[in-house]
Amino acid sequence: MDSNRIIELLARKMANEATSRELEELDELMAIYPDSLYYDEVLKELWANSPKERFSDQVRLHQLFEKHKLKFAEEFDANVQEEEAPVGWFKKYAGVFAIACSLFLICIAALFQLNKKDTDFDTEIVSGKGIRKKIKLPDGTLVWLNAESKLSYDNDLNQKEKRLVYLIGEAFFDVAHQKNRPFIVRTNQISVKVLGTAFNVKAYDKDPVSEATLLRGSIELSVNSMTQQKILLKPSEKFAFRNHKKERSEGKSGFQNGDDVTLKIENIAPVRIAGQDYIEETSWKDDLLVFKNESFEDLKPKLERWFNVRIEIGGSIPKSYRFTGIFKNENITEALTAMQLIKPFHFKLKADDIIIY
Amino acid sequence: MTKHSPDLNSLISHIALYDSESSYEQLFKWLFPSLYRFSFCLLKSRELSEEVASDVMISLWKNRQKLLEVENVRVYAFVIARNLSLNALSKHARQELVSIDDIQVEVALDSLNPEQLLINGELKKKLEQATQSLPGKCQLVFKLIKEDGLSYKETASILNISVKTVDAHLVTAVKKLTTILKMEFNLM
Repeated sequence: MDSNRIIELLARKMANEATSRELEELDELMAIYPDSLYYDEVLKELWANSPKERFSDQVRLHQLFEKHKLKFAEEFDANVQEEEAPVGWFKKYAGVFAIACSLFLICIAALFQLNKKDTDFDTEIVSGKGIRKKIKLPDGTLVWLNAESKLSYDNDLNQKEKRLVYLIGEAFFDVAHQKNRPFIVRTNQISVKVLGTAFNVKAYDKDPVSEATLLRGSIELSVNSMTQQKILLKPSEKFAFRNHKKERSEGKSGFQNGDDVTLKIENIAPVRIAGQDYIEETSWKDDLLVFKNESFEDLKPKLERWFNVRIEIGGSIPKSYRFTGIFKNENITEALTAMQLIKPFHFKLKADDIIIY
Repeated sequence: MTKHSPDLNSLISHIALYDSESSYEQLFKWLFPSLYRFSFCLLKSRELSEEVASDVMISLWKNRQKLLEVENVRVYAFVIARNLSLNALSKHARQELVSIDDIQVEVALDSLNPEQLLINGELKKKLEQATQSLPGKCQLVFKLIKEDGLSYKETASILNISVKTVDAHLVTAVKKLTTILKMEFNLM
């Protein structure tokens, strides 16, 4: 029964399960019975047009997801609390962590000899460019570490009167509440003292501005050069500290003026994109790069850190180019292609170097 | 389905390691329709199948820390969907309820132009009906392979049958469809 055999082979072919010999056999049979070509065509068409029923549109799917999220809301809200218990993967990779930490310790020990400045801490966690990490500190505090950042702390953090960590770069803290034991984040420019809240600190060495954004609770801020002056931040407020001295000393070395700084407190406004609100300052921890009305100059360091690339901006790009947007899983090429839709420009990609012109 | 499939591995590791809700959302949007279709074949009820698909997704989320150990998450999800659907079936076996929503209205979606649609419409309808009239397991095999692009091996482990049986079911399904064609066009 050749026609039965043809059908059998066709079925396997459609399921991508036919062996190369079976495919050959099918070709031969089809040559003998050209009529069966029609079956092949119809089956192919049938396979290509899968009924998608009522999920054909993304809107419906989105609604379903929202409904789903609502139904199991406690699963998602409990997310953070759940982490309080020793986390499975954390446990699993504890060995790796320990090795990594001890490696760091050796490095730090080496640094000890060379540089007596950063020697107060025995643990250091570094995330490179393009890498974001989530860490749990010994006291239960959760830390999301953004790209190109370094967090140092003592391993016996939990036994001390003050929980002190040192940050270079950007991190989001969800501090485990402990009465009478303040948690202090120190950066090169500012210090943040809290009891138990969620907040974001951004203090990259290269940036002239240091920022602290508070989501809930309250935090006490002080600038390192003016320790007497305390600033209290309320939820949804953002503190920015700009050191002009730094910018100037880059141009004219040796010029020192301690008082030349700006402090700014403002309310954070969520960015509304495609009907959803995003908080620019903290979205990065959810793997979203959000930016609002920013020029290429502002975006350059962000994109470099996010995608682990080096960007060079040609002189022909107008300063007036401003972008608002959100990147989720795009790679750098997709991201730049999307930005080309907003404003015309060209870019060239060579390994990790990007030239925008 | 494979044409839009995101990088499953990276999604899973984001969910397992970082509790990333945005990755979960993507996984949801990718898996949910297939899971829904699958359990609909068994349950024939929109509400119930939606519930089952939703429960499957949340159990993936709840067990996210172990997801990295799962060899094939898609098969894993389908197996959960199968078990939940069968549970629901035995639970509802006593109280047979027929909702008006459950009466099946099959709409064949087409990407063809109107002219071709007119010519092929009748045939399409017949083929769809033929698919619907296939025996249970046979229909499931056909749907999983055709609509979700699963392999023989994956289908076999989801339905807990052998690979040979999967092949046999698919051949039966395709034969039935070609019989319809034969009748329509007096071929062969």
